[in-house]
Amino acid sequence: MAIRLSRTFILRKLHQLTGIMPLGIFLLEHFYTNSKALTGPADFNNAVRDLQSIPYILFVEIGGIFIPLIYHAVYGLVITVEARPNNLYYPYARNWFYTIQRVTGIILFFFITFHVLNFRFGLIPGLNTMSVAHHVDQSFDIVAREFKMVPIFIVYVIGITATVWHLANGIWLFLVDWGITIGERAQRLTGYACIAFGLFLLAVGINAAIAFIHPGGLLGKFM
Amino acid sequence: MNTVEIHIKRRPSPDAPQHWEVFEIPYRPNLNVISCLMEIRKNPVTKSGQQTTPPSWDMNCLEQVCGICTMVINGRVRQSCSALVDNLDKPIKLEPMTKFPNIRDLIVDRSQMFDHLKRVHAWIELDGTHDLGPGPRMDQEDVMERYAYSRCMTCGCCLEACPQYDEDHYIGPQAIAQVRLFNMHPSGAMDREERLQGIMGDDGITNCGNAQNCVKVCPMNIPLTKAIYEENRETVLYGLLGWLKK
Repeated sequence: MAIRLSRTFILRKLHQLTGIMPLGIFLLEHFYTNSKALTGPADFNNAVRDLQSIPYILFVEIGGIFIPLIYHAVYGLVITVEARPNNLYYPYARNWFYTIQRVTGIILFFFITFHVLNFRFGLIPGLNTMSVAHHVDQSFDIVAREFKMVPIFIVYVIGITATVWHLANGIWLFLVDWGITIGERAQRLTGYACIAFGLFLLAVGINAAIAFIHPGGLLGKFM
Repeated sequence: MNTVEIHIKRRPSPDAPQHWEVFEIPYRPNLNVISCLMEIRKNPVTKSGQQTTPPSWDMNCLEQVCGICTMVINGRVRQSCSALVDNLDKPIKLEPMTKFPNIRDLIVDRSQMFDHLKRVHAWIELDGTHDLGPGPRMDQEDVMERYAYSRCMTCGCCLEACPQYDEDHYIGPQAIAQVRLFNMHPSGAMDREERLQGIMGDDGITNCGNAQNCVKVCPMNIPLTKAIYEENRETVLYGLLGWLKK
């Protein structure tokens, strides 16, 4: 007999897949570009210019980022509504991860909406009306001007931390949801690997943000 | 005299609202929750002296192998026969499981789980009019793994502790582990796709949220998450990627 795929099965599998590819891959690219700020404003601006010169950039952005992002965010909220957290009576690590994955998802829904309107489109009147992508000579300065405002910088540190958590735990979830990691020992080992990867990504992400307000990032004086 | 205070969440009939009643019984060493309930049943008077009806609950084996006496004790689901009073925080709070229809007092209707077993074809077809000969030989490791899944007593702890299971919207670890049990069997594997179809519906295996409470609360120590992830692999290989073979 042929197996019929249900709507929910397809939607969930797409949700799991989009989180890793393209969104997870995109985050790595994003942190790479951000890290260009470590070697100075000119390098960062050039990196933005390079990205803007990608052939078919409109389709890449819409098909590779915006559609998967909106799908992952909206369907993620649908999944979150179904949750009945019970951490107080069942206070196990994985049960906390379950709840935190949903909490960071909600944080990201608002943070990424703000972040995209702010830097990609320059549509936050009173804060920023210049798109980083469309003013490649001033890209670094637009970001730096905002990051010097302490509340904005704090929002970004929270946003970066939530994103990194969501991806690092999301990789682990993808591995078990697609039946790649199965046994208890493998679950534990891939769990450690995801934690290590998350910590590494957090350091890279935060350091790149610092590079906009402190030349060279945290280790600027030594490198 | 030493006493034990017991709070019971009661419901006189399926439609009536729930309410708490407080009882107090004399302490004895080695009491378990069932013997407390039996003590209350002898003389159903609340702590404040009010006459009430004897509390009702389900019980059978009294050695944690039948699963029928499962209830929520001090907020956590477990079997009441193996819940020893000496190990519990006082006062002891007894509630019926919350994820199944509550019939009366501590009794719930768990027929949802039986329906799940029927849906996933949780048996092996052996009927024939002729001698089918000896069964196929199995790898000893597979036999041991299947033995672990075969210990399921359908108590419902995994579903009660699951943050994704509510209103029967998710087929749950109990049924998924039985899919694994029968798909691992050489004869059972003949009905593999029917079982996979059973766990790939709108309330299917993808509703698992990986909170992993199921494997923590399972009184039979069944590797439930392993079963779920094995079936994730099977549903991806045979369900999602099955068309690549055609």
